[in-house]
Amino acid sequence: MLDQTAAAAPSGAGIDVVIAEDSRIQAKMLERRLVEAGHRVRWGENGAKALALVRERRPDIVVSDIEMPEMTGYEFCKAVKGDPALRTIPFILLSTLSDPIDIIRGLDAGADNYVTKPYEPDFLLGRMRSLLATPLADVQDAAATLEVSLAGQTFRVQAGRQQVLNLLVSTFENAVAKNQELVVANQELSVARDSLEKSNHELVGLNAEISRRNAQMVRDLEAAAKVQRSLLPAADAELPAAQVAWRYVPCADLAGDFLNVFPLDAEHAGLFVVDVSGHGVPSSLMAVTVGRFLVPKVSESSLLVRQAADGGVSIVAPADVATQLNRLFQADEFSGLYFTMLYGVLHLPTGRLDYVSGGHPALVRVPAAGGDVEHHGAEGFPIAFVPDVGYEQKTLQLAPGDRIYLYSDGVPEAMDAERQPFGEDRMNDCLRASRGRPLDESVAALLTAVEEWCKPAGPLDDVTILGLEWRP
Amino acid sequence: MEAFRRIQTGKKGDIHMVAFKDSKILDDAVLDAIRQEITTLIGKASGPDVLLDFANVEFMSSAMLGLLGQLHRKISGGHGRLKMCGIRPEIMQVFKLTSLDKLFSIHKDAPAALATFT
Repeated sequence: MLDQTAAAAPSGAGIDVVIAEDSRIQAKMLERRLVEAGHRVRWGENGAKALALVRERRPDIVVSDIEMPEMTGYEFCKAVKGDPALRTIPFILLSTLSDPIDIIRGLDAGADNYVTKPYEPDFLLGRMRSLLATPLADVQDAAATLEVSLAGQTFRVQAGRQQVLNLLVSTFENAVAKNQELVVANQELSVARDSLEKSNHELVGLNAEISRRNAQMVRDLEAAAKVQRSLLPAADAELPAAQVAWRYVPCADLAGDFLNVFPLDAEHAGLFVVDVSGHGVPSSLMAVTVGRFLVPKVSESSLLVRQAADGGVSIVAPADVATQLNRLFQADEFSGLYFTMLYGVLHLPTGRLDYVSGGHPALVRVPAAGGDVEHHGAEGFPIAFVPDVGYEQKTLQLAPGDRIYLYSDGVPEAMDAERQPFGEDRMNDCLRASRGRPLDESVAALLTAVEEWCKPAGPLDDVTILGLEWRP
Repeated sequence: MEAFRRIQTGKKGDIHMVAFKDSKILDDAVLDAIRQEITTLIGKASGPDVLLDFANVEFMSSAMLGLLGQLHRKISGGHGRLKMCGIRPEIMQVFKLTSLDKLFSIHKDAPAALATFT
């Protein structure tokens, strides 16, 4: 028996649709799409409200979500299909079909069709059209009880053959549609994977390049550090009539500090501490360059000694060394690099020390005769700071057993965790306290005191200490 | 007027007044920014008068002295005048240690420094 109302229902535009959907946004989106297609829409936000709309005026088709408060889609469907007056209204369930049991539940509820969420509105419209094109027979009489086994459970389902067929077809169509989507997604993934593989390949190449450059830089830094170490006193540096000891702790791979002590001729020794401003590659490059001029052998570049007319060696006065260095290292307008230096020449037989300071901290004397430590400074601007200035030379007469210490500002300016400087007073105390111990121990003790002061961070500047004890 | 991140600028007559905003000028990046900003400020002026105010500065690196040297050479080379003020005792110590207190024109505070420009 055909239901005339359903048979008469229009299959094209202008059909009357009831939507049951608890999401306002989804309902409005669907409504807009249906209205655009020329249909009339009524919306209930749950099964109960939608059922009231259906009862109020019989629609041509019902589209219902499943999960809704108050009355679910299944209950709503069951209510429609259980009402002889409404039974032939095609009923589409919107399901996520996350579980095969959903199909059984749909069958049991008497749903005519499934559309899986998320859906394309056009797909749903197509479904609606095809459902309306083949009106449902009134399945009341044809309904039979089916037994369906699923996941180890047996379900007894009341459904008509056409309904089962429709549902089966819709499920299959859904599966085909989903499969097509999967094929497309798979193709997209495959394209994305190819592109990823390409990017990955490029990354591997870049990574290798970075590693190569990094290794090169590490080698360069090591080479530079090695060149810098060549600026330091030889391990077996020994002077007649004097003992020397030194410590040098750069705060980074490459330092701006360096020191040296060496014989200039049979009677003279030269000693210096240089501190180039800043750290890292630019400062260390300047340090190495400066170092080439401060060598004790007669050469093109040495500023410390010259070939004398009699074939011997003449020693350049410390003030002249500083003046010449300042002339050579014209202030660098780009980097602003400069250096401080304390350079002294000790006459070994007499203990006379001539020295010059280019903006460098004063040297410290610890007199052998006892008494307080003394600071001896000379005025002079840092080198490469002010063009064409002269430097003042000073003289300090040592007594036998006197110790002098040259150091970089990394010693007095070393800061503790509260940014308090180590300071000259602590340095003096330390050198005074160690005067009875061997020279090397006194230098080591000062370094240890500075390092202790800077804990836990450690010194932020290079720390350089050079000690000399005159023993004629 | 350009907005600077590291320096606060003002003008008193023809004198550029520059106050450092940082309390610590230790980092190379901060130093480069300061160099850049001051260069931008006085770049086109010929023989500018400049007053640097250190009132906010608690710590500065030796490299900052290098920058001051650059400014000194540049400004005095153009027959301008560079003066400084507001230097704390700890930082004054650095100037004394390097004899640079003899090179630079250093004054107690901005009014005292400004008075010497006339």
